[in-house]
Amino acid sequence: MKTRNSLYIFTIPALAVLGLFFVHPVILTFDMSLTSFKGIGEAKPVGWKNYERIFTRDRYMDEIWLTLWYTVIVVTALNITGLFFAAMLHRLPLIRNFARAALYTPAMMSFVVVGYVWQFLYSPINGGINVALRDLGLGFLEQNWLGDPALALYSVAFTQIWMFTGFTCAIFLAGFAGIPEEIGEAGRLEGASSWQRFRYLELPLLGPSITVSVILTTIGTLKTFELPFILTKGGPDGATRLLSIEIIDNLFGQYKFGFASALSIVMLIIVLFVAFIQNKILRDREAVE
Amino acid sequence: MSAAETFSRATGHRLDLALIRKRSRSVLAHGFVLALVAIMLLPLFYMVMMSFKTATEISQNPLGLPQSLYWGNYMEALSSMGYVRSVLNSLFITVSVILVVVFAGAMAAYPLARIKNRASKLIVMVMALGLATPNFVTITPIYVIFRDLGLLDSYLGIVLAFAALKLPLAVFFYTGFIAAIPMDLEEAARLDNCSSWQVFWYVIRPLLAPVTATLSLFVMIMVWNDFIYPLLLLTDKDKLTVMIAVYKFVGNTGIEPTKLFPAAVLGSLPLLLMFAIFQRKIMAGATAGAVK
Repeated sequence: MKTRNSLYIFTIPALAVLGLFFVHPVILTFDMSLTSFKGIGEAKPVGWKNYERIFTRDRYMDEIWLTLWYTVIVVTALNITGLFFAAMLHRLPLIRNFARAALYTPAMMSFVVVGYVWQFLYSPINGGINVALRDLGLGFLEQNWLGDPALALYSVAFTQIWMFTGFTCAIFLAGFAGIPEEIGEAGRLEGASSWQRFRYLELPLLGPSITVSVILTTIGTLKTFELPFILTKGGPDGATRLLSIEIIDNLFGQYKFGFASALSIVMLIIVLFVAFIQNKILRDREAVE
Repeated sequence: MSAAETFSRATGHRLDLALIRKRSRSVLAHGFVLALVAIMLLPLFYMVMMSFKTATEISQNPLGLPQSLYWGNYMEALSSMGYVRSVLNSLFITVSVILVVVFAGAMAAYPLARIKNRASKLIVMVMALGLATPNFVTITPIYVIFRDLGLLDSYLGIVLAFAALKLPLAVFFYTGFIAAIPMDLEEAARLDNCSSWQVFWYVIRPLLAPVTATLSLFVMIMVWNDFIYPLLLLTDKDKLTVMIAVYKFVGNTGIEPTKLFPAAVLGSLPLLLMFAIFQRKIMAGATAGAVK
């Protein structure tokens, strides 16, 4: 048994890196969140004042709700589109691998590239989307996609959904691959339609994939920063000012390190809380079915 | 007499209507899904098309195909973006992160896969926390720590910061894989008087090759594309990564399409080539890591 525990020596390099550049910084972030640190000079302790500010000002609460709403939209859409493509491709083995790789390509790209390309696609004057609508005779649908406060958040969300549909599709396809052949075969012999087989046979068996996909997309979406940062910078009129944008702006726009740290801690707690709750609900549901 | 029967009498061929219906439905389904996939890829196609147009062509005919392949935009981007230099920087940083993550990750995963007690549970929990934590939560203190240690603008600093971000993923990949390696192999080596290190290095490590490949590709995608860390931690012009080069080249003076699209293509090209070559490995990893 002694040799066994000596194996822990092997964890030292990893723990050193993680300790220095993850655990230690998280503790420092919490420490800083209780101060009015501005990046230079002394960090004056202010107790819970930063947190009080976050939870008493409408502005920050609104941003938290906006972040959650954005996550709900993106996660719902991503899982529906991914499931749709996976269900189709599962039935079309001929093009399955090709289509899966093609759909995954946007997820391989950087947010910077995707952000800029879509900014151009969305641009009101010569942007690809408006021009295409005009050419198709649908000119009345033209919009100022990123400039209209009522639309901007959904335009950003759409870009993110476009980017990661291939990702959820890949997860669901792996789930489909894990369903034993005989089950689909039995359903077909019983005369179940494609939709019935999906709804009553495959969907329940996809439980674990749904859990994984929902949790991964939720964590990823809650953290969203790059797309709104590049597409809209949080505008117009704060319509896309997600919590992450607020944090970075306080940090490197206004050098309010203390306050930004408090926002970061709130963010971290939200992410962990949501992931924990989802994990619990989804796994329980899996167990029942 | 039905049409099908007339047909089979006249031609001597049996006509299976059900089969035809099934076939045509299948052709329709394939066509439909392929069309949807094509629509999904339109923005990328657009990106490549635009990169070959002159400024006048873009304003006169924003959607059409380029009249000829105009390479001028690429020449301009290549010369003023510092492309080669930034690709080499990205490559160097990415490879270094992969080395640290693979090595430290595999080592840490070995005891975590073999010992189940409170200590290993605690370590795994810290890792899980690391996976869920947005990287801008730790960016402020990392920025301050780097400033105080003189690690801002150093390759060492950014490599370690990235490694901390990706190590949890590596440990999860490896722990699952090592747990599936039969103990007999290890015990045989121990009977031959191998030390723990020798068991790890000569028995376990060689078996990890397939996971290492997948993991490396994953880390590569994430490090190559990351934006926040290099933006904030590297300011030296000679140390910029590709994505920062694209960001600065495109974003400095409002978006000019003749600059944007070639830069976008150039920035994505190295990774897309990797993807084309290692597509199977990446797709396997995308799901293996997730479905575990």
